[in-house]
Amino acid sequence: MTDGTPETRFRFLVCIDGTDDSYRGAHYAADYGPEHDICLCYVRPMDRGLRSGGLNLRIARENMMTWGLELPGIQYLKKGRDILIDMGAMGPDWEEQATHVDVEGDPLGDNKIEYIAKSGKKIILKLKVAFNIPDGIIEQTEVAPYDLIIVGASERWRKRKTMSFWDPAVAEKVVDHAPCPVLVARHLDAARGHLLCTDGSEHANEALRKNLFLVTHGNAPVSIMTVAADVESEEEATANLKALHDILTERSITVKDSYVRVGDPAEHITKVGEDYSVIVVSETAKSPWHRFFKGSVSTDVLQKADTSVMVVR
Amino acid sequence: MAVSTPDLKGLRRSVVGIAGSFFFYLVQRRWFFIALAVGAIMINLPLPEGLSRAGLIVLTMSIVATILFITEPIPLPTVALLIIVGQILLLDLESTKVAKTLMNDSVLFIMGSLMLAVAVVKQKLDKRIAFFIVRMTGTKTSHICIGISAVCGVLASFVGEHTVAAMMLPVGLTLITLTSDDPRAVRRLAAVILFSISYGCSIAGIGTPSGGARNAIMIGYWREFFFDPLNPETRRFLVDYVSWMVYAYPMFLIQLPFVTMILLFTFKPEHRNLSRAVVKLRAQIQETGPMNRRDWTTIVLFLMILVGWIFGSDTYGLGTIAILGAAAFLVAGLVEWEDMNSGVNWGVVLLYAAVISLGVEMKETGAARWVAVSFIEVLAPLGADQGIGLWAAISALTTAVTNTMSNGAAVAVLGPLVLNIADVAGENPLVIGFITAISSSFAYLTVVGTPACTIVYASGYLKTSDFLKVGWRMVIMSTVVLLVAAAVYWPLVGL
Repeated sequence: MTDGTPETRFRFLVCIDGTDDSYRGAHYAADYGPEHDICLCYVRPMDRGLRSGGLNLRIARENMMTWGLELPGIQYLKKGRDILIDMGAMGPDWEEQATHVDVEGDPLGDNKIEYIAKSGKKIILKLKVAFNIPDGIIEQTEVAPYDLIIVGASERWRKRKTMSFWDPAVAEKVVDHAPCPVLVARHLDAARGHLLCTDGSEHANEALRKNLFLVTHGNAPVSIMTVAADVESEEEATANLKALHDILTERSITVKDSYVRVGDPAEHITKVGEDYSVIVVSETAKSPWHRFFKGSVSTDVLQKADTSVMVVR
Repeated sequence: MAVSTPDLKGLRRSVVGIAGSFFFYLVQRRWFFIALAVGAIMINLPLPEGLSRAGLIVLTMSIVATILFITEPIPLPTVALLIIVGQILLLDLESTKVAKTLMNDSVLFIMGSLMLAVAVVKQKLDKRIAFFIVRMTGTKTSHICIGISAVCGVLASFVGEHTVAAMMLPVGLTLITLTSDDPRAVRRLAAVILFSISYGCSIAGIGTPSGGARNAIMIGYWREFFFDPLNPETRRFLVDYVSWMVYAYPMFLIQLPFVTMILLFTFKPEHRNLSRAVVKLRAQIQETGPMNRRDWTTIVLFLMILVGWIFGSDTYGLGTIAILGAAAFLVAGLVEWEDMNSGVNWGVVLLYAAVISLGVEMKETGAARWVAVSFIEVLAPLGADQGIGLWAAISALTTAVTNTMSNGAAVAVLGPLVLNIADVAGENPLVIGFITAISSSFAYLTVVGTPACTIVYASGYLKTSDFLKVGWRMVIMSTVVLLVAAAVYWPLVGL
């Protein structure tokens, strides 16, 4: 789907958890243009009996509903929907379809409301049940293909690798296992522009080229950057950056600034990235174990950056 | 046959894909494999002095089970199945013998009280209780919070905290949503109200033996470890309902005002008066009309069960009366079996049964005693091998464990150890047992610590960090109250 042309209808999965970052994610997705599909998804971890002392939580939930109270997450999804309506991404006359899917182990199951425009464009509110939140997000990408997942950052992201092994943050697990690009949102606002980073590899440039529409976010200012490992390879790095510059120029995208630095890539990227809304990096690890044992620049940038980071594949 | 390059590429991609999936599986289940590795290493260690081979195996199983309880890499009832199989295969016990250790009065009580919980919640008495609270407390936030904690506490002390938390959660949420539709505008108020429910239940769950599984488990351990039918002096280890209340109930009453004070101080709610919400809530409640025959039958049945626990548990056991009560609700047609069947997580009953069975093996093989001796040796240089130092150490140990797993499971795991520690240190096992059972309710720091915390967290209004923010204050308050009660009050009432 992601052929980089704005004529294509893109599908965005925005993970909503009631935080400001998650609503900014909805805003950001809507800013891509009015023709794209947006799924606002709230994942509720599956109720587990031992934790509630052997009394299934469904008893408490059913009791809540007899009082006319809503399931957790519905309020958040409604607020996300209202943001989209306010932005004009959704109209009042759209057709509405509600669906319930039973989920083994949780009788309240998955619930979905689809709002469908005459053009076929969809806004979906999804209340999903999963063993845990990251698994739920990944499962959702298996239910339907998405072009971009937007998920809020977690402070736990910044913990050391040992803590991350014990209990990885939601965004960390989603980035590790998602089949599509992931935007980890931190105070997300496209106004300050996007910083596209490349290591010059064909893999990185191809990932950027393939997701050009996503990484440039409409009319947001674009700057590019590369980091050479040492002074000797600085010339090669400059050539790499030139190659990326050419790719963008080919698509009539104006490059605002270009940066070539020497040293630790993650360190330089996060420092330069401070002035941008989104740092865009491509996933360099070839496999999960490669990432786990050898690490990857994208993971380091995600951990160190104070701004939003998009990882493209 | 020559293999073309595209075939090789495809093969390589398949192998990488399978390897990737396997790696993902390993990462997902890493704690299961780590627990198994720990078990394999422990079981092959040279035998420590004073510990038998069987003791080492049981100790290994306990540690592996504890890792699995805390990290939950596999569904928890699976741990119960593994414990049962482990006892048969590793300890070479007969399966019939293991099966017999799985069922006792504590397990019957857990089963019965869960069925009762479903039956009681289904009767929809929550609106009556809510009406009572708002009539009693008025509209000030602080008064409502102490009213909620007090009523939740009194009820939870008899019917168990999960029942009351499930019943009262809609009451709390209704007060919150009637105050504001925007969750963020009432975040601190929501925290105060919801924690008033959960902590009110938690501090009261230790008030009577029927307040929680942990109490029944400890009563079962005292009977199993110390009661000898041939020795009349050991009858004191058969703790009856009223005696338990005499020792434990005052602790709930003392803690009650502190809970509200700590919650108000920590969260500083946005609204000091909830008059608008209370008026709307009253209007909602009044729509339910006067008490009907079903309501009265529920109350009468429950009072009969309570009388049975108070006067008959010594003879028939808490579990028998709980089971009888559940049967009475079914016979009276107040609840359907399908409701009970779907409302109770039977895997939990199995889990408690298996852990208690493992606890009995800890005692039988001498593993519990060996750990107790080692524990005392560690504490001795610190001067905490007896008296208030030992009490504090046991309370701290229980608090740490109970914050990582359910409080019933914590007592089931720790019971055999602490009772042996009491024996080795020359302390009264009743005092140490009470300290453990009561400390197991100090699971204020995490969502998983107590059923009431898990239930209020399910509302979606609380963050896990809220539990830490207020929990440490609660832990300090409760520990101080417990140690003062143990040192001053219990000797006065003959414990």
